[in-house]
This record gives sequence, structure tokens and C-alpha cells, in this order.
Amino acid sequence: MKHACWGAPAIRRIGAAALVLTAVVAAPLAQAQGYAAQWLARVQQSARSLNYTGTVMVRQGARIETFRLAHLFENNQESEKLLSLDGPAREIVRSATEVRYYFPDAKVVRVEPRTIRNVFPSLSPEQTSNLAQYYEFKLVPGGRVAGRNSEMAVFEPRDGLRYGHRFWADPSTGLLLKSRLVNEKGEVIEEFAFTDVVVNAKIDKDMVKPSWTSVPADWEVKQGGPGDVNMTDTGWTVHKLPPGFVKIMEGMRTMAGKREPAVHLVFSDGLVAISVFVEPFTVTQTQIGLTQTGGLAQYSTRSDAFRVTVIGEAPPATVRQIAQSVGRNK
Amino acid sequence: MNENISRLMDGEVDDAEFERCCADLKSEDAMRTWMCYHVIGDHLRGAHGVSARFSVRFKAALAAEPTVLAPMPRQRTTQPATFAWAVAATLAAVTVVGWTAFSMVEAPPTAVAKAREATTVRAAQPKPSGDVPTEYLLAHQEYSPAMAIQGGGPYLRAATATAPEPRP
Repeated sequence: MKHACWGAPAIRRIGAAALVLTAVVAAPLAQAQGYAAQWLARVQQSARSLNYTGTVMVRQGARIETFRLAHLFENNQESEKLLSLDGPAREIVRSATEVRYYFPDAKVVRVEPRTIRNVFPSLSPEQTSNLAQYYEFKLVPGGRVAGRNSEMAVFEPRDGLRYGHRFWADPSTGLLLKSRLVNEKGEVIEEFAFTDVVVNAKIDKDMVKPSWTSVPADWEVKQGGPGDVNMTDTGWTVHKLPPGFVKIMEGMRTMAGKREPAVHLVFSDGLVAISVFVEPFTVTQTQIGLTQTGGLAQYSTRSDAFRVTVIGEAPPATVRQIAQSVGRNK
Repeated sequence: MNENISRLMDGEVDDAEFERCCADLKSEDAMRTWMCYHVIGDHLRGAHGVSARFSVRFKAALAAEPTVLAPMPRQRTTQPATFAWAVAATLAAVTVVGWTAFSMVEAPPTAVAKAREATTVRAAQPKPSGDVPTEYLLAHQEYSPAMAIQGGGPYLRAATATAPEPRP
């Protein structure tokens, strides 16, 4: 009888051996996981903490626009100015406390409290592991971008539920020089690229100030922004979540111009995010169905007395699958 | 089965169901239903651009084509023409099949009702305006890791999405 009955130390020894074995097998994968996440974190940190100025080309679907950009990092605070060079005049000025969008053609300025957080360095271990499981990561020479040699990070999706991502960065400073979103046919659907850039430039405070010292009298000032979110269990869930996505936020969000707060859930696969909004359905809300702007897909549908809207940087089928499986938490 | 076909036509199936539906469509019955729904749908929408004698004329023209017994070696310069012909042939085949289906199939009343329902549901849906609600966009993109690594990227998107109409 005795030999059949394993004591606690024996079980611990087996457990320890299994643990060592798991560690040996999992080590290269863990390393690869960490590598992709580290690379992204460095590029994110550089975009925030470097001083730079240049011309940026932005392509969404068939639309191409160029902007002049100046970015200053001083006293641990970011200031930035973006000025459109073609199309309707627009100026975006970002300071530590707010973002102002100037539209001189419409004589409108939108003022938003600054809420966009520093999201990248806080990838959860689960997001980091999903990043490696659902994308193949490669770092290769990227050729010349904006007059500089670059390194290119490739995130190739391992299934059809997400887009491919290419990022070109300056190897010495880590500044992102160019990025591309690629669909399953290999077509570029969204692109961001410097055509010229000066990194570690001397940025004057004046370069990141609005062209208007005060708002002209005949302009309209609009207060806006994404509002505040109250993190709580909303009672809503996605029943058929595509593999690789994990919930990173859940709460009730009070948005500008709305009386009732909306349910807001956010899911991420480590590289992109998909948001789910649920609000009571009203007859004035007419948008139902799919819309696509560059790499951003939106699907709205009606579920009983509610309107469900899903937005994300993912193929329309993925966004639609999520929208159609949003329901009450049982 | 018929309901799945109707949902497939409306683009309401997910990827896994799509695969299953396509496999199901290999049966003759399902294919007949599929064609029938489309023809009915086309007529309900008033989309019937092909003349009644098209299939007859096409059949005659096809029969009159000489049969090439020795295939020509493929040359690069002929590729665009070949491609264009392939497209034209596919379109023609689809049209012929569709027309034949319409003229031959005695659709059961339930099938007509089903197809009508699918069509009217689609027609009743308001057209999307093409704009993502601004508040949603702003609330969403602060969580997007890929956006966060672009200097100014999220703000550029917001500026484009929220631009008001110019006024004098």
C-alpha cells in the first residue's frame, strides 16, 4: 500500500520537475513575446519623450493629407502642434491639460480636456503573450524613410481576424518614421509617414503654440471630449469574442451631449483595440450597419431596446462578429 | 437551410458559418434556392437589365465559336486580354444561369416570401452616413496601442473625423 501512496515531498518534486521543463520549453517563446512588446514600448516612449519636427503624410483609404508637426517634451510634459498643409485648414494644439482643434474655415474651435493616456507601456502579461500568439513578429532592415535608414517591425497576423502592421523606426532614437496597416489582400489601407523629420531638434515654445493667441470673437467654442468613465461591472458582455482579444476596460462613460452614460467595453489583442458601446435605442439614431474609414471599422446594430456600436482597427468581419454577439451577462 | 441562405445573402453569417454555408451550397437543391432568391431579389429591386433573348443569343454565339484543339503557347502580351475574357465569360455564365433559373424555377410561395423578407429588411435599413460618432471615436482611441505609438496620430484622426462644415 505504501508504495502506491505518494507523499507530499514526492509530489512537490514532480511539480518542480514539470515546472523546470515548462520553463525550458517556454523560454524562447517568452523571449520572443517580450521582444515584440519591448520594441513597441520603446517606440511609444520615443514618440512621447523626444523633441522633433517634420512633415507627416497621412493616408486613410483613398484620402491623403499632409501635416506639419512639431513635438516638444519639457519638464516631463508633452506639447504638440499639427498644422494641415492641404485640404481644409486645421490646426491641432496639444498641451499638458487640453487639446484644441482649430477649424478656421468653419470658425470653430473644439476644446477637449486632455485624457488620452500613455497606454503602451502597460500591456498586461496576457496581452503580451497574445501579441506573440496571434502575430508573427519580425525585425528587418527597413530601407530609407524620410532620408534616414530605418528598421522595420512586421506584425503578420496568424489568422484572418486582424490586420497586418508594419512599423518603420529610426534605430538610433526609436522614433516612429512610418507605419502601415495592411489588409488580407496585402493592400495598404492606412498609412502614416514622415516625409522629412528632424529628431532631437531645437523646438521653441512658439512652435507648439496656437496661431491664435485668443479665440476670435465671431468663432464658436465647442467643449467636447470622450468624457469620464466610471469603472464598474456593466452587466454586458461579448459572447463570441474572437480569439486573442481580452477585456482591458469596462465601465459606464458619460459623454458630452448625452444625458445617460453609455456602456463602454474595450478589448485588445496587444496591438489594436476594439470598443463596444451600448446605449438605449432612440429613433433619432439612424446609423445601422457597417462603415469603414481606412483601418477603422464600425458596426452598429439594434439589440431589443439598445443600440450596440463596435469600433476598432480590425477587419469588418471581426468587428461585426463582436457586435452581433453583444448581450447581457448571464 | 433556406434561412441560412437568406442570412448568407444578407451578410449576417460569421466566418465559420460562411464556410459551412458554402459547403452546403454544393448541393443542387441549395444552389437552386440560392439562384432563386437572387433572381427574386433582383426583380424586387427592379434590377433586371438583361434582355429576354440574351441567353438564347449567347448560347448560339457560344455554339458558333470554333473549338481550339491545340492550345497556343501562353505569351505575356496576351495576358490582359485573357484576363478580360475570363471576366467576361464569368459574367456571361452567371447571367445565363440567373436567367435560366428565373425562367425555369417555379418558386414555392415560401421561398418568394423569404426572399422578399430578406430584400425588404435590407432596404429598410437606413444608409450609414459614413461617420463614426465623434464621442465614440475619441473614447475609443485612447485605448488603441497601435495608435499610441504615432506622434499625433490619434489627434489627426480626430481632427479629420470631427471637422465641421465651413461657413462664410
